[in-house]
Amino acid sequence: MSDIFKELEEVTVEQYDHYDLPKWLADPVLLVARSPELYQGKEYLVEILAAQVREYDVYAEAGCCKWAYDHEDIKRTLRWLED
Amino acid sequence: MAIYLDCNATTPVEPSVSSVVMRFLEKDFGNAASPIHDYGVFALAAVEHARGQVAEVVKVRRDEVIFTSGATESNNLAIFGLAEEGIRSGRRHLITTAIEHKAVLEPFEEMARLGFDVHILPVGADGRFDPQRFADALRPDTFLVSTMQVNNETGVLQPLTEVAEILSNHDAWWHVDAAQGFGKGLEQLRHPRINLISISGHKIYGPKGIGALIARKHERQFPPLRPLMFGGGQEQGLRPGTLPVPLIAGLGEAAKLAVRNNNERAHKCRAFREQALATFLALGAQRNGAEDYTLPHVLNVSLPGINSDLAIKALKNVISVSSTSACTSHTHTPSYVLAAMGLSSEKIEQSIRLSWCHMTPDVDWSEVENILCALRG
Repeated sequence: MSDIFKELEEVTVEQYDHYDLPKWLADPVLLVARSPELYQGKEYLVEILAAQVREYDVYAEAGCCKWAYDHEDIKRTLRWLED
Repeated sequence: MAIYLDCNATTPVEPSVSSVVMRFLEKDFGNAASPIHDYGVFALAAVEHARGQVAEVVKVRRDEVIFTSGATESNNLAIFGLAEEGIRSGRRHLITTAIEHKAVLEPFEEMARLGFDVHILPVGADGRFDPQRFADALRPDTFLVSTMQVNNETGVLQPLTEVAEILSNHDAWWHVDAAQGFGKGLEQLRHPRINLISISGHKIYGPKGIGALIARKHERQFPPLRPLMFGGGQEQGLRPGTLPVPLIAGLGEAAKLAVRNNNERAHKCRAFREQALATFLALGAQRNGAEDYTLPHVLNVSLPGINSDLAIKALKNVISVSSTSACTSHTHTPSYVLAAMGLSSEKIEQSIRLSWCHMTPDVDWSEVENILCALRG
């Protein structure tokens, strides 16, 4: 398995187990992480997804500046991965 | 084709960096400031991803990375961007060193013209400034300190850890020009006392025309920088203009690789250095700069009895090297860095800088030695 898929799995499990990443979002991300053969050539997007999961914040849209990622960002990247 | 040994002037581009740049030139060409459709949203996602990759190198937050066109612009933004605050606060004492790049020294000359009191620290024969002399130069009204991380001509690391200690009880702003060391020496730049860091993409196997100023926040506040350009509000208002997404994404990829492959790169560079050093020492060369503090990809030597211009021309089919920094080599003026280290004019005219990287192929050092021996003949 490519390092980036392994990294995506680790960070998603971490965010789900210990932080605020909801199951409905963690499940499709883990599906990507555990199916590297389906996403060959899309590693750049997987890298972005891993960064977004790592910096996931339920309240990313709150306040004046958006310096975290929220469920909309992750959903969008999942959609790009399927395009 | 000669083997390229001028990586301090600019590095080759990593293949994966080229791929990322091409992707955003050809296919995903959206404007990051137009996130009203997928083209723009994806461009913005790429920019923010790259910002995170750059931030990771020095362990800052993403919002502390301001993209610029390169280290020269970053240096100018750091120095002139603070000028107004210096004038407002009445603190006009500035400190820098004699071996800074022209992109720091010339802005400081301009700051002096604007009424600031500039103190330029000398360096020793080892190519480093003395932390004690820095401490002695520091005054209550010292407003800005600018010291480079690694000298571009000698590859010598400067005593930043000592400066951090000295500045721990002083509120001067501290800028570090890290054009040559960012992504190579990782730990130094992670020191939280450093307020501002200038970096450049094309020194870390990324594209030319992109860099960043890293502005560490203190108590959630940016250093009191003012923009040098206006119109658009990008980069938190500090650097307006349409973001060059391909270059930014390329810089991010280069930054990622700098962290991931740091040890492997250093190991390869050290092995190369041993061969280069052995060759030049056999020719009686004098090393310029303290060996213990020199990064593993640089060697600056003076070759007794051989003029560097002649040596560079004689070697041009075997290795491509330089005699001074890229930004001053076209002027044919002697190296002010080596002069500041106390080298004689003769030694300076005999100096050659070799700088390589993990992608540099093997060199036929016996051929290099033969050519130089014949030249001395």
